[in-house]
Amino acid sequence: MRLKKYIHGFALAGILLGASCKKELTVSNPNNPTPDALNSETGITTFATGGVYITGFRTLKYADGVFGPFFSGAMGFHEMMGDVLGADAANAYLNQLGCPNSVTHDNGTTVVNPNSPNTQYALVRQSNTNSQAGNNFLYYEWAHMYSLIGACNLLIEKADAVSFTGDATSKKAAIKAWAYWWKGYAYSRIGSIYYAGLINNTSFATNGNYVTKEKIIEEANSNLDKAVAAAKTATDLTVYTTLLTSIIPSYFQVGKGAPQTPAMLERNVASLKARNLLVNKTTATMTNADWTAVLALANAGITATDNIFTARTDARGDLYTNGQFVMGRTYSSLAGGATYKISERFAQEFKTGDKRKDQNLKTTTPYLGQADRGQAHFTRWALVDGGTGLPGVVVYARSTPGAYELHVAVDYEENQLMKAEALINTSQIEAGLAIIDGVRTLQGAGLPAVAGTGLTLAQAREELRRERRVVCAFRGISFYDARRWGVSDPASSRTGAVAITNTGVLSTNATIKYGYLDYWDVPDNELVYNPAASGSAPVKNPK
Amino acid sequence: MRKKLLISFCAFLLVLSTGLAQTTTITGKVVDDKGNALAGASVLEKGTKNGVSADANGAFSIKVKTGAILIVSEIGFENQEVSAKSSNLLVKLVTDTKALSEVVVTGVGVATSKKKLAIAVEAITADKIPAVPTVDIGSALVGKIAGAQISTTNGSPGSPTQILLRGINSINGSTAPMILLDGIQIASTGLENLDLNGIERVEVVQGPAASTLYGAQGANGVIQLFSKKGKMGKVSINVSSNMVTNELLNIGNVNKSQTHSFAVNAAGEVVDGAGVPLSFDKTTGSYLTNPVFNLISASSKSNQPYNKNLLWYNHYDMFFQKAQAFNNSINISGATEKTDFSFLLTDSRQETVFKNNGDYARTNLTANIGVELAKGLKFRSITQIVRTNDTQLDPSGRNMLYAINNSRPFANYLDRDAQGKMSPYFGDATGVNGYNFNYVVENANVSDQTIDLIQNFNLNYRLNRFVELDAKYGINRSTYNSRYEIKDQIGNEGAEFWQYWAEFYSPRTSFASPTTGSESGEINERVFTSTFQNFTANANIKFDFEKDFKLNIPLKSTTLVGWDYRNSKTTDYWTYGSNAPDFSPYRASNMAVYSIARDQISQFVTYGILVNQHFDWGELAGISAGLRSDYSSAFGQGSTPFTFPRGDFYLRPSSFNFWQNASISKVINEWKLRAAYGEAGIQPGAYDRFPILTTATIGNQTGLSTPIANANPNLEVEVAKELEIGTDFGFKLGKGNWFSNAGLSFTYWNRTSENVIDRVDVAPSIGIGRQLTNSMTLKSNGIQASLNLNVYRNKDWNWDFTTNFSKQKSYVDKVLNGAEIIKQSAAGSSQYIIRAGEQIGQIYGYIFPKSIGELDPNGNPIIPLAEQKDYVVASNGYVVNKTTRQPYASAGRFGLGDPNPNFNMSFINSASYKGIVTLGMQWDWVSGSNLYNQTKQWMYRDGIHADYSKPINIDGQTEAWSAFYRGAYAVRAANGTKSYFMEDASFWRLRNISIGVDFAKFVHIKGINKLQLVLSGRNIATITKYSGYDPEVSSGTNNSAWDRAVDHNTIPNIKSYMIGLNIGF
Repeated sequence: MRLKKYIHGFALAGILLGASCKKELTVSNPNNPTPDALNSETGITTFATGGVYITGFRTLKYADGVFGPFFSGAMGFHEMMGDVLGADAANAYLNQLGCPNSVTHDNGTTVVNPNSPNTQYALVRQSNTNSQAGNNFLYYEWAHMYSLIGACNLLIEKADAVSFTGDATSKKAAIKAWAYWWKGYAYSRIGSIYYAGLINNTSFATNGNYVTKEKIIEEANSNLDKAVAAAKTATDLTVYTTLLTSIIPSYFQVGKGAPQTPAMLERNVASLKARNLLVNKTTATMTNADWTAVLALANAGITATDNIFTARTDARGDLYTNGQFVMGRTYSSLAGGATYKISERFAQEFKTGDKRKDQNLKTTTPYLGQADRGQAHFTRWALVDGGTGLPGVVVYARSTPGAYELHVAVDYEENQLMKAEALINTSQIEAGLAIIDGVRTLQGAGLPAVAGTGLTLAQAREELRRERRVVCAFRGISFYDARRWGVSDPASSRTGAVAITNTGVLSTNATIKYGYLDYWDVPDNELVYNPAASGSAPVKNPK
Repeated sequence: MRKKLLISFCAFLLVLSTGLAQTTTITGKVVDDKGNALAGASVLEKGTKNGVSADANGAFSIKVKTGAILIVSEIGFENQEVSAKSSNLLVKLVTDTKALSEVVVTGVGVATSKKKLAIAVEAITADKIPAVPTVDIGSALVGKIAGAQISTTNGSPGSPTQILLRGINSINGSTAPMILLDGIQIASTGLENLDLNGIERVEVVQGPAASTLYGAQGANGVIQLFSKKGKMGKVSINVSSNMVTNELLNIGNVNKSQTHSFAVNAAGEVVDGAGVPLSFDKTTGSYLTNPVFNLISASSKSNQPYNKNLLWYNHYDMFFQKAQAFNNSINISGATEKTDFSFLLTDSRQETVFKNNGDYARTNLTANIGVELAKGLKFRSITQIVRTNDTQLDPSGRNMLYAINNSRPFANYLDRDAQGKMSPYFGDATGVNGYNFNYVVENANVSDQTIDLIQNFNLNYRLNRFVELDAKYGINRSTYNSRYEIKDQIGNEGAEFWQYWAEFYSPRTSFASPTTGSESGEINERVFTSTFQNFTANANIKFDFEKDFKLNIPLKSTTLVGWDYRNSKTTDYWTYGSNAPDFSPYRASNMAVYSIARDQISQFVTYGILVNQHFDWGELAGISAGLRSDYSSAFGQGSTPFTFPRGDFYLRPSSFNFWQNASISKVINEWKLRAAYGEAGIQPGAYDRFPILTTATIGNQTGLSTPIANANPNLEVEVAKELEIGTDFGFKLGKGNWFSNAGLSFTYWNRTSENVIDRVDVAPSIGIGRQLTNSMTLKSNGIQASLNLNVYRNKDWNWDFTTNFSKQKSYVDKVLNGAEIIKQSAAGSSQYIIRAGEQIGQIYGYIFPKSIGELDPNGNPIIPLAEQKDYVVASNGYVVNKTTRQPYASAGRFGLGDPNPNFNMSFINSASYKGIVTLGMQWDWVSGSNLYNQTKQWMYRDGIHADYSKPINIDGQTEAWSAFYRGAYAVRAANGTKSYFMEDASFWRLRNISIGVDFAKFVHIKGINKLQLVLSGRNIATITKYSGYDPEVSSGTNNSAWDRAVDHNTIPNIKSYMIGLNIGF
């Protein structure tokens, strides 16, 4: 009997303890907000910041510290394929993705790509399998941009659900303009490098209907138009701007980085649409109508005083560090001293006397690296941190926190050069050259004007080419030019190139055969987990 | 009815007989050989059924016939017969030393004789843990547990051991088993920090069949430690001191090439592209020009000595040293009838084998106090306080070994610039991945301290002979304080020139990545606390149907009912400061840039009930069944519990009469068959089921973003289901002194692990990277066996031999959507594949054929037929291109091998002479394991490895062709994973050898009962084909399920010699 009592007592105690513990099971994550946080005005605003700058441009499941996230990695890949930079690190085939098929030196010796595989075409195909995981360099831009699209979709979905205080219309306009702009930007990047893409308008979901790159560019432009339309629904510009002020990191809001008015946004959109058209056709296939369209868009594009989309560092490196920008991985005291090495071909684009070269590049003991990593990345040039101190001359690299302003999308100079290129190619050579002179003046190049010097079309095009190479470097768009000018095509080559062998022999009239694939196949990591549905556009570049 | 009558009749006779005979009341006490009371010991009047059980104090009182003989018995002890002559008998039972007669509790919850155990429980007592230079429990268990793979995979002081008990249950989680100290889980303090000197006994259950009682966290098995208690008699004081010399193993004679292939001038000096000899630039403390070479060129030969402007330095001599360690321990213990106590203080100090990398110290203070509060009510408190102080800049040592191994041998890292300062980087000339670790040492200060508290309370109430109630509560708290300071390096020309500061090269992570300012000094501080509480309440209810119900059936019932609660809370707080002021010391409040890099809490609550019913039928057989049901905060509130069933059965043919009457019983005196089935789980992480947004500070704003890997509200517990079948034998072999007895145990187990969680990739277009998903089924099976043999015994000598055997295999059975998952080693570079049908931990990469027509695993020629004419087999056995002199790598990638050995065995000998001299020796044999020699592959990158100097014959020409070695690194994919670097890591290792002499046994000094001098060595001989430092290392995350097959600059084990003195008063 006594025993029973004890057993009963024990069981009862157990049940009581159990019941009281049940409450303790209600442990929610005390460290982070739940997705419900997005249902408030501050939640959606802070997500507008983090969704773009962190989800979109910084974090991925595969990452590599040697090349880093979007602004240094994916953008850096374009600079290497555009022969602005070289590399010898093999992370994600960094040394190979921009390694030309051959370099023929002045003495007639030809040095072929020493890597295995020894063409970039073969490399792309070898690299683009799911099992290459983070070594597949095709993965990064795709994943960054779809992360950005995903975040923007969530913003757009939530913008209608959140009850804003005060002038809800203008606040909603700002959120939507912001989201549609970045979606448009992301599709622009996707359509400008991948052979096919996906149109995805729902957060945390996808579909298997791959469409052509042309459709992706259309989608990009459509989203950009929606951004402008959304911005224009703002009834109170102060409210609209205030909201953007709270989205854009405060330390970005210097220089050109302050919030844009709807009108400025419209001009940024026009410039990006101009770029989308310009860089996705080869120069050889550009029609008069195309040039006219580029000109029209560029004329409606960014002005010298407009704000644009920028990114900067702060002392703590909250969002980005120097190393997460292309320039931060390039500047060094010694030629070849950093991960990214200045290409001899980039250095040769500066015209004699260009102060921009004196300001930013210097020769040192040449970098004669390992011959088994590549044959075109040896260089005499180093990118100078902070410039050499020439007043009024543009500086390409600045390590001081916040000093460097990355132009994320299109800037005034690029817009001007698109204008110039369209003019030159539509028989308005002098007008075009005058714009080039204007850009040079703006950047403090100190070069004599080329307008009025009676340049031929070919000479004008060469002025334009060199200027674009110089102005657009380090921003992830150099490969677009190499592609559309036909330089990177396997069938053509770059002549008159400066190149140096790993034994230090300098050629000034070398011939380089790049042989780079123009548009990348859809990354296999996407295809394995999201196979193409029937009726999809081809996901692999037939080249 | 007839039975009842019979019983009544017997009872009547019994009463009658006692009534008739002359009786006397005998009182006494039953104790063990250490003087501890043996509660529940059985006291039986010989030849009758008259018996009583001893109470909680071991006391008994029994009425017997005058002159009767009492049989006193208790499981785990040899029976003793005493004549019932006087009262106040003190019956001292001797522990039954035969292998099968021990008592275990782990896995069964109730003290159970091994003879009646239906599961495999491995147990080891302190006397079997030899006097070796290990100061941690994990290392001491290497080779001691049949069926388990316990290895020391990193030789740095304080490194935990890698423990894989039985098969792999999880991919995302670890293989670490649950650690219990006297019945209470220890989850905050690592096994490596507990005091080995305070451990009396260790029990190990290895899989769900035996660990169901531990529920949703028991799938990886359980290691239970039992602490030493004070013994009856006078207070004893034991002091032990030892001194150890440690040095790094380099079994494969890894070294750097004495020759190079750089361009030289007529004088033989290495020159740059301009023909200028390379020289050390005193301004930047580095080389500013590069040698000219082309390792991949077919004509490049590594055949020139470093004897002109560049000299060969032995970097290992430059950075390694013989290191000393000192361990001291004092134990004071004793016991009276109602109390016992044991106080233990241990202090251990270890230098590292790397010069200037700091040192490691640990102090443990343990108190174990038992009090009998009332009759049958015992209270015990076990307290351990642990303090560690670690000043190692690189605790795992991997960064510095990498820095050293990837530096060309002409870098003299003792060189300083014109200002007398060191440079962090000697230029690309000395290898782009090498750097000067001495620079980092000079510019960093590290202090890591932990203070751990373990406090266990145990209240045990033996209510009567039927019921025992037991409650335990333990709190285990660990506080880790880390301060890592980087000095101001402004004005260091080398650092400023290269823009590389100590912060960049340091093995320690800075908590923020400043855009600049790293040259101006930083502090990183971290406080991590972990508090773990465990409460268990159990009731054991025992009935003997014969004795208690007077039923004439030899049935005994044991019921275990329990409730168990665990609560874990961790906090993690990181702060970062940079732009330090010009003065020191640095304080956080002086830092120009300051941020809180992390402020995280993790909480986890789980509780469960357990019920187990066990029946024994005499000595013949037993059966049990039970279940454990768990609730957990990780399952979400109010979710239904996860329930894990179990059951087991044993049969002892050797207890049947036919056996005992047969002659075989003279040889096999014990034979048991057993089978057990059980399920146990591994819970998802604390917040794996709760979707969140990630937060960040952005300037003076905040940002929310979506995490890379999404939580999954539908996650379920990973469940492992296991069946084990085993048998145990006791042999009496020889009649004389040789092979008098032996014990053999054998267990086969088979397991399925379901709902295994992994971070599964999702399509990037969804906008996230991965999602935690119950996505896999794993299968494993294996054999564990042990043989204990008394080789020789006479009155002076005793020689025991033990061999343990383990064979286990774990493979992936199913993966969601049939996907193949590629995983990168935490050590970087090397890849693993997880794919249905493959063993877990399979290295994945390109095959280097060794014959021209070699076929790949799919049966296709590795080299396309049309190209085969271009290849020859070189003298080193690899297929090489005749023109390029590079090896051939398959176009596709395949599984190359895995780390799991075919089997591992240990052979342990211990011998003693009159208790004066003790000898011990243990050999470990790991057979058929593979290790990816990533260390070597990196040393191939820049022509550094000594292999470069080895001539090879390719197509008739013998030279030190660098294209072969460079090709091995670069072909198909630079640093890609390749079969060339996958090596057989089987080894034989002389793990321990020791000799002890106790002078007190023949030189009698008053008050001293032990004066033992011990000499011992650890890891002093290894036989292996592995070409790296040590075949036992692993560079993956400790206890990772899959990342175990890579050697990427991990610190090899150390070879130790110890001299020790043990004094007992």
